[in-house]
Amino acid sequence: MNAQRGWVVLAFFGVTLLGWQGAVVYSGQRALYPYPTGVLEAATRTVEDGSLVAATSNSLLRVLAGFAIGAACGVPLGVLMGFVRPIGRAVSPIVDSLRSIAPIAWIPMALLWLGIRGNAALFIVAYAAFFPFVVNAAQGARLIDRNLVNAARALGASRVLIVRLVVLPSALPAILTGARISMAFAWGSIIAAELAMGIKVTSGGSGAVGLGQLMVSTLYVRRDVNGLVLDMVVIGVISLLIDLAMRRLQRGLTPWRQT
Amino acid sequence: MSDGTQSAPVPPSAVAVDAAARWPLRLLEVPLALAVVAGVWQAASVVVGNSTLLPSPLRVLRALDELVRGDLREDVQASLAHLGIGYGLGAGTGLALGIVSARFALVEAIVDPLVELLRPISAIAWIPIAILMFGISGSVPVFLIFYASLFPIFVNAVAGMKEVDVQLVRAAQMLGASSRMILTHVVMPFALPYVLAGARLSLGVAWMAMVAAELTGSDAGLGWRLFWYQEFFAMDKVMAVILTIGVLGYLFDTLLRALQARITRWSLESSVDTAR
Repeated sequence: MNAQRGWVVLAFFGVTLLGWQGAVVYSGQRALYPYPTGVLEAATRTVEDGSLVAATSNSLLRVLAGFAIGAACGVPLGVLMGFVRPIGRAVSPIVDSLRSIAPIAWIPMALLWLGIRGNAALFIVAYAAFFPFVVNAAQGARLIDRNLVNAARALGASRVLIVRLVVLPSALPAILTGARISMAFAWGSIIAAELAMGIKVTSGGSGAVGLGQLMVSTLYVRRDVNGLVLDMVVIGVISLLIDLAMRRLQRGLTPWRQT
Repeated sequence: MSDGTQSAPVPPSAVAVDAAARWPLRLLEVPLALAVVAGVWQAASVVVGNSTLLPSPLRVLRALDELVRGDLREDVQASLAHLGIGYGLGAGTGLALGIVSARFALVEAIVDPLVELLRPISAIAWIPIAILMFGISGSVPVFLIFYASLFPIFVNAVAGMKEVDVQLVRAAQMLGASSRMILTHVVMPFALPYVLAGARLSLGVAWMAMVAAELTGSDAGLGWRLFWYQEFFAMDKVMAVILTIGVLGYLFDTLLRALQARITRWSLESSVDTAR
């Protein structure tokens, strides 16, 4: 992109922001519509009282825990399904049928089983994170070079050794792809789960307020549009950072692969 | 893949091996798997011994039967209406924007940063502000589906149109094709597999956004019905609605997958999933 076009684009966004600010201020409807400086004010306020940071870290902790559960259950199952064909054929219809259910649809059952103090959201996240792991690990294990396995067997390697030294390393790139999808998906689901809990459950599952519950209280209690936009920006920035981190992890762990 | 889960593209050889497995056995596999799930579920519900906490499969089937004769049609209709309007608008806008911004550099210079800014903000994050803008109504899921389905198809359309083989374009130019003809006869057929893959990804995320939006900000639809029955602690009905959501999501994905395979059989890239 040449410099001139760069200026045109910059000018376009500058004028849009200014026009937005001007329109809202001029119309005198500051309580109804978000505007740029208002979002900045909301940012300083919520960072100062610590509510935004606390909520974000609660949500992130849940995502990490759910991601770990999903990985711990999903990777072994996926590798097993991919490596042992009969198991793969028997289990994959089950996995496919469960996978079709949008994770968030489980929220009423999860609330009933696990209560409102955050574990229900954890269940939703783990459920969401589980399937990309299974699918990609199965794919990775299915597509490994059988010659390598046979060579290892011919050299007298035991099954455990083959899985550890041949199957897992060959499936690693696919598993990491699964991890990236899984993480992105988990982050979307935690917000959905927390929003649903915040809106539908009286007291909003006040155990550990996450970003979703914070948004609900910003909407219904404080009626702060700028705060809502701020929360959305935070959600967007975090998902960008997550994707960046996962890509870096992928490059670091599988340097022979160019992704 | 209604949950937006994606997997790496499968080389044709791997598919062939799977398909070569004896088909009469494969016909039995799905019912068998379902029977196992039902069996485990039944056993678990007997162990739990509380039909609210874990309704047995039979109870859920009975509830489903009751729902099919009762409200379910209304809910499915409402959900499908949300999905149809939102997905139609979203995928249409995404496709049009993709084509225009792949053709005109200035449009791309403006649209691309916007997309990259908005894309990380998942549709779900828009729910509160959508509720504020539209109130609790059917517009909330429609808006969310629109937003969710916009990006995958946009990204794929741009990628497809940009990765056109330059040789092909040059060959067409040399043979005297007009730029319009090149667009319709070279670029668009080349981009088609990408667009279809994008359409399927879009539908997956749209389905997920629909359920979430209906759960939180709608007054009709399958998602809304989940919490409606939860208020009455009718967990067998909740499970029946969850099942319906799963089956419908599965059907849609299978449908689009079949469509994709049929329309682009000629393409090696019919399994491209570029929007990662």
